[in-house]
Amino acid sequence: MKHLLTTLFLALTVLCGAFAQTRIDGTVTDAQGPLVGVNVFVVGTLDGGITDTLGRFSFVTGRTGEQTLRAVLLGYEEYETTADAASFTNMEIRLREKAASLDEVVVTASTYSLGKSNQIKTMDALDVVMSGNSCGDLVAALQVLPGTTVVGENGKLYVRGGESEECQTFVNGMHVLVPYSTNVEGQGQRGRFSPFLFKGMSFSLGGYGGEYGQALSSVLPMETTDVASSDKLGVSASLLDWNLGGTKAFRQSSLSFNAALTDLGLYTKLFPDRCDWTRPYRKLSGEAQYKLELGPNSVLKTYAGYDWTSVGMRTEGRSLSMDEHNVYANATLHTQLGAGCTLFAGVAESFVLSDIDDALAAGDRYHNTRNEVHLKAELGKRFTPQFKLSAGVEDYLRGSGKRYNETGYDLKYHLLAAHVDAQLRIVPRLFLNVSARGERLSYNREWLLMPRATLSFVPNTRFQASVMAGRYSQTPEDDYIARGQYRLRQSTADHLIFSMQYATARTLIRFEPYYKWYHHLPLLSDGVYTADGYGYSRGFDVYLEDSSLRNLTVTAAYSFNDSKRLYLDYASPRTPEYASRHNLRLTAKYALGKFIVGLAETYASGREYAAGKTPFYNSLDANVTWLAHPKVIVYASLNNLLGRTNVYRINPDGTQVGATRDRFFYIGIFVSLKNNKAYDISNF
Amino acid sequence: MTSRIFNFRLVAVVLTVFATLSLGHAQDIPVGALIGQSLSKLQQDSSPEAFQNCVAELKRIDAMAPGSAAPKYYIALQSLNFAVTNPHAEQTEGLISEAEQAIAQLEEIKEADHSDLCTLKGFLYMVRIVQDPAKNGQRYYLDVMNYYEKALKLNPDNALASQLQEKFFEGMRAQ
Repeated sequence: MKHLLTTLFLALTVLCGAFAQTRIDGTVTDAQGPLVGVNVFVVGTLDGGITDTLGRFSFVTGRTGEQTLRAVLLGYEEYETTADAASFTNMEIRLREKAASLDEVVVTASTYSLGKSNQIKTMDALDVVMSGNSCGDLVAALQVLPGTTVVGENGKLYVRGGESEECQTFVNGMHVLVPYSTNVEGQGQRGRFSPFLFKGMSFSLGGYGGEYGQALSSVLPMETTDVASSDKLGVSASLLDWNLGGTKAFRQSSLSFNAALTDLGLYTKLFPDRCDWTRPYRKLSGEAQYKLELGPNSVLKTYAGYDWTSVGMRTEGRSLSMDEHNVYANATLHTQLGAGCTLFAGVAESFVLSDIDDALAAGDRYHNTRNEVHLKAELGKRFTPQFKLSAGVEDYLRGSGKRYNETGYDLKYHLLAAHVDAQLRIVPRLFLNVSARGERLSYNREWLLMPRATLSFVPNTRFQASVMAGRYSQTPEDDYIARGQYRLRQSTADHLIFSMQYATARTLIRFEPYYKWYHHLPLLSDGVYTADGYGYSRGFDVYLEDSSLRNLTVTAAYSFNDSKRLYLDYASPRTPEYASRHNLRLTAKYALGKFIVGLAETYASGREYAAGKTPFYNSLDANVTWLAHPKVIVYASLNNLLGRTNVYRINPDGTQVGATRDRFFYIGIFVSLKNNKAYDISNF
Repeated sequence: MTSRIFNFRLVAVVLTVFATLSLGHAQDIPVGALIGQSLSKLQQDSSPEAFQNCVAELKRIDAMAPGSAAPKYYIALQSLNFAVTNPHAEQTEGLISEAEQAIAQLEEIKEADHSDLCTLKGFLYMVRIVQDPAKNGQRYYLDVMNYYEKALKLNPDNALASQLQEKFFEGMRAQ
């Protein structure tokens, strides 16, 4: 009897449950038609279903009475309705596409992000090393991008018709006074930082926000890697450089060191060039980093680096001898304070000392010291997903001393700056970044206020178009300030840039016309520099990157530039010597098993000098990387395969100055001695 | 990277087992029980449809407890689990986006376990490698390893991170 009652009770329960069940069904569409994969469910229960290819859903729920039904699909606004469960039949739900928030949109106009960008890496340190003509030089690798110009005699970055000094480098947000290692005139200079230091960089060719100043044309902000999670030790060797680096990882911090020696003595003996060296190029570098995670959202990063460079050569009847000491150190703290607030504080010190004997004539002596302390603090807050604001202050304290024989100068000044940046989504798909930067220069008490704005239309994840406009400033070089009787005002440049980009997972196409107006450039007049110089630079850049074919990545970059300026000792406005009207770079990288083969072609039209125009520049470069062993990588490259003798300059007497060697061969081996990661040649 | 490194059918099973085993750590018992119920269905049926239904159910559980870390963790884990076993399926990119969103939401939750977060991030890059070993292997390899190392540094008993890292080492040794 007891058993029977139990069975009856259970049967009744099941029956009641069955009667209480309500069927919910309908379709989900958007403006284009049915939506597949929409999760439709009764809130507070597991009762729900997923739409099929026709947008249909159907499920039963045990809930009755007033219930809330929700439909969710990534990228769409949530749909929610509350009513009697019995009424949820034959529903026709229409979802609206969700407008991206500020955090979801990365405006790429005029900027090339290398390293991690929006969670997708476009180029990392190994890519830099394997870049066709870079020989591991970060600056050379960046020159495959549009907007840059090949200036072979110094190898520095020249952007969109601007001087190399107009492109400024920042490490973790802090300014670097001299980002290049030095060399004698006519010899290419390399960037002084190893690509392995950084996890990401954003090379901006103009139109940047208020945070960055003291750069007329472009900025190169780079961010060092995070706290290392494991110990590393490695060595590398080539015909011209030797390197030892390591990292010790602690629970919440890591300490790294790196030492490198570059000596062209052996290389020059094996492959003589057209120079008469008295002392081969030598550079000894040491670097150290300490990084500490103060909490899950707070990082302290410190870096210190020292380079000593020495070189001597006989040229034009004199025996030039040069030594340079370059010190750079910085410390930064980045922390998230909660409630969408971030705080950044940093300090950086740059010190460069140069001594040159027989610099311009036999028996002369040149001595120069340059020093800069950069202090910076910034506070940011995300108020809503549609509105972010940041504000900061910074101070550049600069000093320099120069002696050439018995003449020279000592210079000290500081530049105080403040900026405010606001990012907002005006309406869905339309974003505005507006900023203002104010600067006060101490030696002439000049104030400058510079508004900047970027308006971007981002209709979907593939396409974006932006227009950027703003004013930028830069103090003249120390020599000009001194010879301008400490009255020379800052040079300014007004940028107007239009950018269009189409990007898919495997293809990127970008087109950017631009116009820059220069004002107050230093101009020599009666032996004194004035701020009466001016000029313009206009043109367009086109960039294509594609990896549709398996194992093959190709890039093509073309830049047209038309620039003229009246500055320095120019008698009338003309195209500056460093500017080429047409620049073309083509690269291809193909992975073949354990080999990666790269090719790069660089073309630049001739450059105009007072005494004539140089022939066009052309270089076809090749490299191969062999992943010989998980702990050993071998890399070899040959620049200028065709052996063309490129001409860089035409002297006033008509003589041509070109590369000291037509081809450059490099072979190096990278070995990890203590590292649990294969093919990781980054030990620092 | 070669594709044979990534025999992820095995990993998928391991993940499911780990996911079920780690339910005891769920912060919210009723939510934990519901997650367990949802995940247990995968042990009977590990078809793509079952994974999709599981992720959908986990999102419903997340809607019940929006401040809880556990549903978000499992949404990310199961989405990646689906993606790693079906790297080129029609639904994969959508589920990877789900995983990215869940990871971003987890980062906003103070109580979220940072070791688990690092494991998920490492797994996300691992999925990208599985999708295109030739292109992404070289690019994301170090990220995968660094995240697993960090996960284990924060919690040496993180069995999932340990297992995934071991799979990665195996892959490297097999090359």
